[in-house]
Amino acid sequence: MARNYRISWVGLLLGLIIGLALGLTYAWLIDPVVEYDTQPYQLSAEARRDYLIAISLAYRADGDLRRAVERLVELRLPGDPFQAVANAACDLFLQGVDNNTERNTIEAMIALYGPQGRSGCADQSGLFLVTLATPTPFPTAIPVTPTLVPPPTKTPTAAAPLLLTPPTIAPTRTPTEVPRVDDYIIANIQTFCSVTLAGVIEVYVQWPGVGDQPGIPVRVAWDGGEDRFFTGLKPERGAGYADFQMEANRSYTVELPGRSRRSNPLAASPCTTESGERSTTSYRVVFRRS
Amino acid sequence: MTRIVVSLLIGLAAGIGLGLYIGWVQAPVEYVDSPLSMLDQPHRDDYTVMIAYGYAADGDLTGAVERLRRLQVTSVPDYVQALTERYISQGRNVADIRRLVALAEAMGRLTPLMEAYRAPAP
Repeated sequence: MARNYRISWVGLLLGLIIGLALGLTYAWLIDPVVEYDTQPYQLSAEARRDYLIAISLAYRADGDLRRAVERLVELRLPGDPFQAVANAACDLFLQGVDNNTERNTIEAMIALYGPQGRSGCADQSGLFLVTLATPTPFPTAIPVTPTLVPPPTKTPTAAAPLLLTPPTIAPTRTPTEVPRVDDYIIANIQTFCSVTLAGVIEVYVQWPGVGDQPGIPVRVAWDGGEDRFFTGLKPERGAGYADFQMEANRSYTVELPGRSRRSNPLAASPCTTESGERSTTSYRVVFRRS
Repeated sequence: MTRIVVSLLIGLAAGIGLGLYIGWVQAPVEYVDSPLSMLDQPHRDDYTVMIAYGYAADGDLTGAVERLRRLQVTSVPDYVQALTERYISQGRNVADIRRLVALAEAMGRLTPLMEAYRAPAP
């Protein structure tokens, strides 16, 4: 007499559910994967603050904003990363400044966020004298080319420390301002058709009378996704420049999150160049400080 | 009854296997509150380089050592020396190497390998 070996689907499903729960409990709670390769964004709040301090110290020494922004981006800070530096400096200031190391730290942080038009309680205290970050040449052991010593001036003037009044802050703005959705307006959107620059959104962020604005977060959104990036990461295209590669036949909106309104949909539609070649429409979007 | 028990055991085994695969491989626990000492190697290196730049600008050796201690290395001078020599041997950015050499020298760890990158005495 043949025995019945047919599977009970109810039993199998029940076992699968219980087994899955047991397996996940073991793998996530009892014996999770030990992680050694932590990325900066996975750091604790305190460690992230240490990392911000290091970024600020390096920026004050080399004046390399692009490198500083790249490092800030790796922290994946919510909101405006420069304002995050200002807030961290404020926290440090409120904890008390007891020695030169702490003073140096806060001054370096102000030197990073101040010129970007951000402000916090540390710089508003007026207790810190800050020199703007400039690349400081490091002495080399073997000078390549001799340099002539300039003749002394008749009336030498002592270099006065620069109080934090970043030249990039418009005089009409108070340091306590917070980002507003109408800080920047979309001044112009142009389309163009090019084979070499097919389906690209070029973003320019400008501040009339001040200049192009680096380190400004840009958000491009499409149906089911979004991407965030910063201006100034392609310095060869200008300090206020950033771009995004679209997929053909898709629509996108672009904005400066929290600081501008969202653009109308920009469609990556087919186009024909002047020489008759097929390509995808590209856009040039100019945000201007209002 | 045997049929149900056998099916349950088969399901249980498959479920545990699937759970372990998901929990360890596909969606492992992601740590979000890690200390600086857990940073991956490239970012530990970069953090140290940033501190070296800071030292080059402000000359605050105490502050630099204090910040590097947060990496929880056994000996900060040993660590800076090893990193500097690694940067030199790997032909990394010269500006970065010079700052690291200056920091290593301030910690009394100037080695012959570093001499070529050393800043002249004022």
